[in-house]
Amino acid sequence: MADSTMLSHSRRESPTPRSSGRRHFQRYWQLYIMMFLPLCHFLLFKYAPLIGNVLAYRRYRPAMGPYGTEWVGLAYFERFMQDPAFWRAFNNTIILSFGNILINFPIPIIFALLLNEVRSKRFRKFVQTISYMPRFISTVVVIAILSELLSPSTGLFNRVLGQLFGMDPIYFTNEPQFFRPIYILTDTWQFTGWTAIIYLAAITGVNRELFEAADIDGANRFQKIIYVTIPSIMSTIMVMLILNVGSLLSLGFEKVLLLYTPSNAMVSDIIDTLVYRTGLANQNYSYATAIGLFSGVVGIILVSTTNWLSKKMSGESIY
Amino acid sequence: MFKQPKLRSLTFADVLINAFMFFVVLICFVPFLYMLALSLSSPKAIINNEVSLFPVGLNFEAYKQIFTYPNFFKAYGNTIFYTAGGTLIALFMSAMFAYAMSKRFLKGHKLVMMLIVFSMFFSGGLIPTYLLISSLHLTNTVWAMLLPFALNQFNLIILINFFRAIPAEIEEAAIIDGLSYFGILQRVILPLSTPALATIGLYTAVFFWNDWFNGMIYLNTNQYPVMLFLRNIVNGTAMIGDGAGAADKSTIAMSIKSAVIITSTLPIIILYPMLQRFFVAGLTVGSVKG
Repeated sequence: MADSTMLSHSRRESPTPRSSGRRHFQRYWQLYIMMFLPLCHFLLFKYAPLIGNVLAYRRYRPAMGPYGTEWVGLAYFERFMQDPAFWRAFNNTIILSFGNILINFPIPIIFALLLNEVRSKRFRKFVQTISYMPRFISTVVVIAILSELLSPSTGLFNRVLGQLFGMDPIYFTNEPQFFRPIYILTDTWQFTGWTAIIYLAAITGVNRELFEAADIDGANRFQKIIYVTIPSIMSTIMVMLILNVGSLLSLGFEKVLLLYTPSNAMVSDIIDTLVYRTGLANQNYSYATAIGLFSGVVGIILVSTTNWLSKKMSGESIY
Repeated sequence: MFKQPKLRSLTFADVLINAFMFFVVLICFVPFLYMLALSLSSPKAIINNEVSLFPVGLNFEAYKQIFTYPNFFKAYGNTIFYTAGGTLIALFMSAMFAYAMSKRFLKGHKLVMMLIVFSMFFSGGLIPTYLLISSLHLTNTVWAMLLPFALNQFNLIILINFFRAIPAEIEEAAIIDGLSYFGILQRVILPLSTPALATIGLYTAVFFWNDWFNGMIYLNTNQYPVMLFLRNIVNGTAMIGDGAGAADKSTIAMSIKSAVIITSTLPIIILYPMLQRFFVAGLTVGSVKG
């Protein structure tokens, strides 16, 4: 990230050679004091749990501290590798994630490109404001509204289907085959407008002269989108893709938990919900930590691999 | 404006795009309209499937009921408390941390920056965090909500970048005037940073307002926030309303559920358009590339 530039800056600006360390602290001690409390907070709440991952290799005993009591090696890892529930959750996570990226990665780009084509500036602003409202809505509310809309007895959606196509009511939120579409489409609803902000900002930054040149060459609107706008925002698209692939395993855990019912468990049990159930519900702390650590490590590998690939192929990277 | 581009009449493509955008607005809005309609309709109209986007048999019974239901008030008050307290703590901690971190010449600056960035990609996970918070004896206290989420790496980076963009001359002038660094932060930097503070303040407030999961795993029943209350109504673990007539119960529950949804979402829907000129800038300035 910005660290490489920071390095060069600090060399240039740094007013204190090593010998005047005391003067440095006399001048700047307040800044260190200022940092002290937040830094302690940061280390406590971000790094203590990170170190807490050692619990994956240690046996947990109640009231004996969060870091466990004795080393057990890879026992917990071996156990979940042989656990069919883990592999089911793993597959569900991968399928849901890829489906989600496949649908919800391109949609905000298309939405931004189309919105940029809207002539009236005021209508454009209005659409944008409305479109990111769902991002501020709690997942609980989204799922609550959804369950009323899709309710088989009184839901609006089933009534419309019934009146238009004469279909019998379907219990959407309970049928396993509808779980993935529901997850993905509620994400579309909630985040398309929000994610599009970044692309719209990138489109606004495109050099106007490129469009004028394309006009002179006789390009139509569609050609300008394909040959000018998209190539110009490619770096933004790549960065967003890296971030998306990097967070492949971290799905909207809370939403899955809210959509989870015993009858759709075969498709809706993902790694995070498995960790939650084995860890917090069944208090198998070490076992759940091992599963969580595994998915965290896979996540880091995914980020660095996509970042490396993208650097090789397009010169774009996030660090 | 320099030169007005020549006015072109609306083409077919324009009509199509505008129609599509109109459709998008509708999709975003219809669910709320439906909720509003349900919350204001009579149980009879709901059970006969007469309600679509406008209330049928307009009445405020559902709202009257939730406002006389003590648990709802309690939960709503809890949420307001967590949101106000949590956001204040978060802004206080983030501002101090980010201001110090905006000074590249401080010793250890690079190391702390690395710690911040690294923890964005690799975090402690659910179980270690839970065990930490319970071993600090924060569970079943409001501190379990207020403390652990005060610092967020994305917000910190937005703020650090914003502070760095403030011209150094302003600060040098303040130092010559004899202000300490605490004085500079309080009297010079923070007043200049309202857009960034409003942005991360909004993100934080929305996070606290919408949270239910942390409330569920860390708090006890009378500390529950309103979103958890709503979730418990939805999945049937909490009951609301008087048991007047068993047949009516599910439909009463339906309009009450809708009324809870509307009342718990309204503050955010009212708040965000007012702050949007800030957060759009904040998102694009501070995000992604750091």
